[in-house]
Amino acid sequence: MTTVLEVNNVSSGYGEVQILWDTSVKLEKGKLTSLVGANGVGKTTLMRTIMGLLKPTKGTVSFHGQDVTRMSAHAKAAHGLILVPEGRQLFTEMTVYENLEMGAFTKRAKENFAANLDRVYEMFPRLKERLDQKSGTMSGGEQQMLAVARGLMAQPDILMIDELSLGLAPFLVLDLFEILKRLKDDGLTMLLVEQNVQMALAVSDYAYVLADGKVELEGPSRELAQNEHVRAAYLGI
Amino acid sequence: MDQFIASLADGLLLGFVYGLAAMGLTLIFGVMDVINLAHGPIIALGMFAVFFLGPPGLGLHPYVALLVVAVLGLIFGAIIYFISVHRILDGPHLSSLLSTFSVNMMIIGVGTAIFTTTPKNMDFSIGGLAFWALNIPFTRLVGAFIAVLVAAALYVFLYRTQQGKAIRAVANNRAASELMGIPSTMTLALSFGIGTMLAAVSGAIIATFFSFSILSGGVYELKSFVIVVLGGLGNPTGALLGGLILGALEGIVPVFLPVSWVPVIEFVLFVLILMYRPNGLFGGGRS
Ligand SMILES: Nc1ncnc2c1ncn2[C@@H]1O[C@H](COP(=O)(O)OP(=O)(O)OP(=O)(O)O)[C@@H](O)[C@H]1O
Ligand SMILES: [Mg+2]
Repeated sequence: MTTVLEVNNVSSGYGEVQILWDTSVKLEKGKLTSLVGANGVGKTTLMRTIMGLLKPTKGTVSFHGQDVTRMSAHAKAAHGLILVPEGRQLFTEMTVYENLEMGAFTKRAKENFAANLDRVYEMFPRLKERLDQKSGTMSGGEQQMLAVARGLMAQPDILMIDELSLGLAPFLVLDLFEILKRLKDDGLTMLLVEQNVQMALAVSDYAYVLADGKVELEGPSRELAQNEHVRAAYLGI
Repeated sequence: MDQFIASLADGLLLGFVYGLAAMGLTLIFGVMDVINLAHGPIIALGMFAVFFLGPPGLGLHPYVALLVVAVLGLIFGAIIYFISVHRILDGPHLSSLLSTFSVNMMIIGVGTAIFTTTPKNMDFSIGGLAFWALNIPFTRLVGAFIAVLVAAALYVFLYRTQQGKAIRAVANNRAASELMGIPSTMTLALSFGIGTMLAAVSGAIIATFFSFSILSGGVYELKSFVIVVLGGLGNPTGALLGGLILGALEGIVPVFLPVSWVPVIEFVLFVLILMYRPNGLFGGGRS
């Protein structure tokens, strides 16, 4: 197994407020990893720190063995580290097609533009029907599809998705999970934050449970799904 | 009636150039929410640049010099961005107002010291077009034509090229554009450079019609503000149309009233638009 992303004892937060305390997370090549934790525990903060939108006050982030702690977010994206952010963050004033184009802004993504576009159209036929629509005027579900599609256009080496299914109808959630499985079968390395912990653990290979700004528990998802504490605290069983 | 038409044509042709300057102001606002108070002095610098590159100085043809002014404007704008805008971008509006106002004062101060405030004149003429009631200097026609050309080029750039779309993406959502690999800081610097370039080029075009000094920018800056509000803040196409409206007003009003009424009417319009159409006459702007 190769570790493609390694977060080492990272502390991070917003100004004076520290949210993450010595957090360590590893992503293995081709594996789907889940990040589980209560609201406000710091899942989004961790993803933003990995991307470099937030600078850690302590610890390191390495990507393919290279220290990228101080690298800017756009440079990381150019190397294939891609985040589909919480709340979609689409280019709402631009069309669906333009959003996809902007997803493919980096050199590595441009080289694979046509193939990625075909793949995205096939996964999300709805988007293909709405290419000229301003993305901000689409429904919530369509916007979420576009957010994922835009991330895929970036030719990710690692795809991190923050809140895949928030606010989506159940059948759409199922659709998106099917797509995750497909991406996993294609060998994509992923980090997933998902409110539906049961589904997240079912689809992922490995999981981290965050509590109090630290990793409280980690292990193969299947085992965590059987863990008494996890079942009580996150699965409501 | 003849005089009316002649004044209207005159005003409309000027209006294209005013619109071009306003596009620079509105582009910068639209992309980074900064009202560039150095806009006027930059227009004035464009005038001086074409003067010193042109026949009175290095001897380039004024329209060739215009190309050089464009490049210089782009570079100068990017420098202003890094020195005085980048650091206060996430601060309150007041910071960017004060910061660009300082740039405004510095340019005017240094400019006054070097160039004095004695008006300069290019004395540039390439004949004119006389027919019916009209007698239009070719400089006006060419100036308007260049303004339209630059405006169209800007539109194509923003809507048809990857780099231009990246500017719109950064304007729309800076964090998201970083996540997609768009270098947002360089993109913002480029946008500020383009906004500055538009102001400088319009100044250079104006210098081919009128005499000017380092203080002339102020008048055109005020016009740009009126135009930008007419056209909707942050809406470059609206700015060009707003320029035409303002130009037409400037042409027509003096036919009926003393010239000194022009700014009064312009600013009454300014206030009325802010009160009743804060998104601009054509919508699409941001209030
Ligand atoms: N910009 C900010 N400034 C200050 N505090 C912030 C900011 N963003 C988030 N926080 C705080 O940081 C903590 C962690 O937030 P974060 O968004 O990382 O949580 P999360 O685990 O993603 O939660 P959720 O499941 O609700 O998305 C919260 O207490 C939140 O209030
Ligand atoms: Mg979150």
